[in-house]
Amino acid sequence: MALPLPPGLTPSEVGFLCEMEQVTIIPRQRLDGLELLGGPTEPLRPPFPVPLPLWLALLLKKQKRADISPPTWLSVEVLTQILDFEMDERTAELFSPSQDLPAPTTTAPLDGDPYLAHDALELSPPFLKDAATSRAQKDALPYHWNELGHLLLTHAADNFVEPDMVRKLLRDLREVRMSKLRKGFKVLDAGAGTQLNNVGGMEIAEVRGFVVGVVDGLRRLNHSREESRKEREDEERENGIGSSSYRDDEDEDML
Amino acid sequence: MDDDIADILASVSAPALPVRTLDLQALTRAWVNERTAPELLPYPTDLVDRVMERIGKQISTIEAMSGTMDPQANFTLVILQTELERFKFLVRSFLRARIAKIDTYALHYATLPSQLSPLERQYLQSHQSLISIHYSTSFLSTFPTSLQKLDDTAGGISMVDKPDEDAAVFCRVLKDTGNVEIQGISEVAEIEMKRGDVRVLRWSAVKEAVERGDVELI
Repeated sequence: MALPLPPGLTPSEVGFLCEMEQVTIIPRQRLDGLELLGGPTEPLRPPFPVPLPLWLALLLKKQKRADISPPTWLSVEVLTQILDFEMDERTAELFSPSQDLPAPTTTAPLDGDPYLAHDALELSPPFLKDAATSRAQKDALPYHWNELGHLLLTHAADNFVEPDMVRKLLRDLREVRMSKLRKGFKVLDAGAGTQLNNVGGMEIAEVRGFVVGVVDGLRRLNHSREESRKEREDEERENGIGSSSYRDDEDEDML
Repeated sequence: MDDDIADILASVSAPALPVRTLDLQALTRAWVNERTAPELLPYPTDLVDRVMERIGKQISTIEAMSGTMDPQANFTLVILQTELERFKFLVRSFLRARIAKIDTYALHYATLPSQLSPLERQYLQSHQSLISIHYSTSFLSTFPTSLQKLDDTAGGISMVDKPDEDAAVFCRVLKDTGNVEIQGISEVAEIEMKRGDVRVLRWSAVKEAVERGDVELI
């Protein structure tokens, strides 16, 4: 009954999450608007494009009732541009910028509000507006770029202009970004606080096990040093600075 | 005065999402947070009640529609059933993640009933009593009386397992919240959290921000 998995999303769960992203489809058959549990959908009147969640778009595509229009960033030109940015030597420490975030629309919760009250609920992937539709930002990758690219190429390859080239570019992008992540492992430390802006969802799922293991392991190894430092600081705070006679430099003096 | 006008314009130009979509976002966030955090988070009672009610209504709608065999309606039925399965997966995975944490740290959460729902409290009670009966009949009754307690706190080390509050978690900052303290090996540092940052931090540093909604786990 209890979930046997360790903390952290598995790649298939990240894929499940990505299927909630909206994509634009071009229907081939009429369908009335539905009242789904996640909100109402617009009616499908061919040939007008309509945004729908990815799981529904894939279902319609499999039954040949619609075509999926690839997101603006999933084209050869844009991916080549982003790949050039990633492979440039000057950006060896960074990932290419992800899509611009809209300004936050919610305020801090009031004291009586329960956890996850709507007023304090800020939207985040996969519910950000227009991350993978035909109105998406043209020069940046969204959070679920890898999963979206993979699913769309697998099930809707005929809707792409050059699917093989896109597949190759996605693979190259993935390799470059993973190698950057791996280089970043050198700066992992027990205090955590490593910044990974613009990284993708599947990339985090891949390195999560290793990174969490390393950070926790370093924390355990340095636990006693941290404890003694905290005790020293507490003493100093109580008695005034300079009263403690323990010096950290003693370790270096012994070399 | 200008701020009020800006607010009114913002609410008119960007139509608010329907409650159902906001609930789906809240449920998804609750699921991801619960799956990633090492500790049990507060139980979102209202959210789960609303979602369960809607699921119940959808099940009855589907049963009513299953009567007709019109091909168009058949396809709509398939869509509704697929979506229902997705929702049920979310709710089930969320509850199973919580049960896993309750099982591992049962004695600890027995002292914190506010984090649990009434059903979870019942589960905790019966699970605990079953385990202690099992232990005492198998081996605990042969121990000396003073060593038979399962929640012994004497002797400096407590037998009650607490969840590891300093475990590393990946998080994304949703709102600019200012500074967060980080315990390094040799120093205490403060880092600023800006909207859009993705960081690896200790759970104890971000716990409050997650409960407020300023930071989400990924």
